[in-house]
Amino acid sequence: MNHALVSLACHAYVVAALVYLVYLVRQMDALATVGRVLVGTGLALHGVALFGLFGAQGGRPVGVAQGFSTFAFLLLAIFLVVDVRYRKPVIGAFITPLAVAVLLPGLLLDRGQPLSPDVQRPLLPLHVTIALLGMAASALAAGVAGMYLLMERQVKGKRFGLLFSRLPSLEFLDTLNRRLVVVGFIALSVTLVTGAFFSSAAPGFFWTWHSKQIATLVAWGVFAALVGARSFGGWRGRRVALLTMTGFGLLLVSFLSSYDFIHVGGGWR
Amino acid sequence: MEFLCIGLSHRTAPLVVRERLALPDARQVELLQRLAQAPNEAFLVSTCNRVELYLAAPDMNRVRESARDELRLLGGSEALEHLYEHRGDDALVHLFRVAASLDSMVLGEAQILGQVKDAFERGQGAGAVRGELTRVCAAAFGCAKRVRTETAIGRAATSMASAAVALASKVFDGLGDKTVLLVGAGEMAELAARHLKQAGATRLLVTNRTLARAEALAAEVGATARPFEELFTLLTAADVVVCSTASPVPLFTKENVGAVGRARKRRTLLMVDLAVPRDIAPEVGELDWVHAYDVDDIQKFVADNAAARAEEAQKAGVLVAQEVARFVRDRAVRNGVPVLAQLRQRGESIARAEVERTLSSIGDGLTDKQRKSIEAMARAIVNKLLHEPTARLRAVGPEHEGNRLVGAAAELFGLDEEAPAPAGMAGPNVVANGGKG
Repeated sequence: MNHALVSLACHAYVVAALVYLVYLVRQMDALATVGRVLVGTGLALHGVALFGLFGAQGGRPVGVAQGFSTFAFLLLAIFLVVDVRYRKPVIGAFITPLAVAVLLPGLLLDRGQPLSPDVQRPLLPLHVTIALLGMAASALAAGVAGMYLLMERQVKGKRFGLLFSRLPSLEFLDTLNRRLVVVGFIALSVTLVTGAFFSSAAPGFFWTWHSKQIATLVAWGVFAALVGARSFGGWRGRRVALLTMTGFGLLLVSFLSSYDFIHVGGGWR
Repeated sequence: MEFLCIGLSHRTAPLVVRERLALPDARQVELLQRLAQAPNEAFLVSTCNRVELYLAAPDMNRVRESARDELRLLGGSEALEHLYEHRGDDALVHLFRVAASLDSMVLGEAQILGQVKDAFERGQGAGAVRGELTRVCAAAFGCAKRVRTETAIGRAATSMASAAVALASKVFDGLGDKTVLLVGAGEMAELAARHLKQAGATRLLVTNRTLARAEALAAEVGATARPFEELFTLLTAADVVVCSTASPVPLFTKENVGAVGRARKRRTLLMVDLAVPRDIAPEVGELDWVHAYDVDDIQKFVADNAAARAEEAQKAGVLVAQEVARFVRDRAVRNGVPVLAQLRQRGESIARAEVERTLSSIGDGLTDKQRKSIEAMARAIVNKLLHEPTARLRAVGPEHEGNRLVGAAAELFGLDEEAPAPAGMAGPNVVANGGKG
């Protein structure tokens, strides 16, 4: 049942991605609306599936497949909020294919994960959800940063082609990046604090030098530096875009390594 | 009179070459006076996108050589490589197309007609434009007007100024909270100001070497005028800079723009240079927080829009062809006019003389009514006699055939073909169509 729902949602996302790509070439308002409705429908189906799944698992995703699935869900949810708020559907052409790419391995791997012994921890769902939310916000920020770099190349290089005419203005992309980075940074901070709480609550060490912890902390440092440099150093544009992408890359490492431990048998730390 | 257009434009020559040929008004007048010694005529269209000499002369080969020499002196021998020439009716077609904005960088932009009109008036002022080019220009302006009203080419036209606004929209998310600085207070600055206002800009600053002109423009478009000495203070505050001064050297260099970088915290700066020669040195764009565009970049930018308007351009092209054909036909007829006029004049003077002789021999025995009847009869005889030859002379289409017939008529009636036409008979259309339209 859940699998069917997710599969349906995935179809909706794939079609939405195609619609947004067509929109990139032929800018018709109707296409943007269709894309928005498809993403919304997909999210509804996906949401029901995840809700059902998490209800049976102590309120959180378990295993790498569900992690990817939830990540894709949150990414598209944030995208939809941004799309409705700013009406820049062209972002969809970059984000929906990315979300599909994230979701597909999740679907392929989705074959009944064993329940982890950590299920009982009351704050764990919060920790995992917020961590994934931060990931999704940073992923979108990185996507927007990529769009910024792409657009800057057109603007600086005086290439007045399709991308130049379709991509939003540099200032818009930079501002959106800033907002998403702030959301990501806050989510990441909460994740670190709750994560530290688990580590210290669990028997053993507060800091264990796991690659997850290192990557997350470095990523947090990058985002902290980003927020600070923007607010106080007047940083913007290209440098910030590159840093955002670096920060997201580190988070991705952290995300993947946290699942490594499950398979190695290390459990959630 | 033969007709020649010689020059270069954005289609054939890069900005550096065009810059060298951009002449101040006074030197343009000197150039025209050298080239247009009677009976030769000349005017010079000089905009940031084209420098073209239009010449009319009985012996074109000699004038052509001197025109080429002048252009070589100004632009170096390199300029000669970029020159194109249109002769005879091709030159007419070219002028008509230029005036109708079909040869413009921004297809259909309205400014070019004003610029050609200015060029024409400058030629008149220099005494370099007389009958022939006046008629040609009048027809070209009429054609441009027709193209504007009968095709949609101008409606969608983006002028250089609006292209600047479109560029701004790709760098900034709206202009409402941005400071726009106009450097220069000419026509280009005014256009840019209007477009920027329309696009939502509210804080407009104008600066100009002559403060009074900046103040005049500021009052007109709702901006604030600032003295030119504050240029770099203003640059610190600005987000968008639009330059259109006549400065022969760049106002902005990588060094002096880079120097305000710290003060403005490297906030993004869009610089649009609508001037030729350039106001912004090309290296300024290397600063990573500056996006600088010159006239050639804008040409690249508007190329897309031009494609979209290709259909209207085609319609306009047909109109231009019609108008040129009409002008050529009219000219053929006009060439017959002196003979016709003389013919008519001779007929009328014979009639008048005969009526006077008859009336004086009759003496006072006639009433006013009878006297008028005799005058009318004499005129009617002349008119009826001359009606057929007049109509046939006017109807001749091609020039050469016309000339033969006109020559025959002159021969037959014993008229002097080259004699000047009586006042009011030569090209009555010119008076009606000429001047500002």
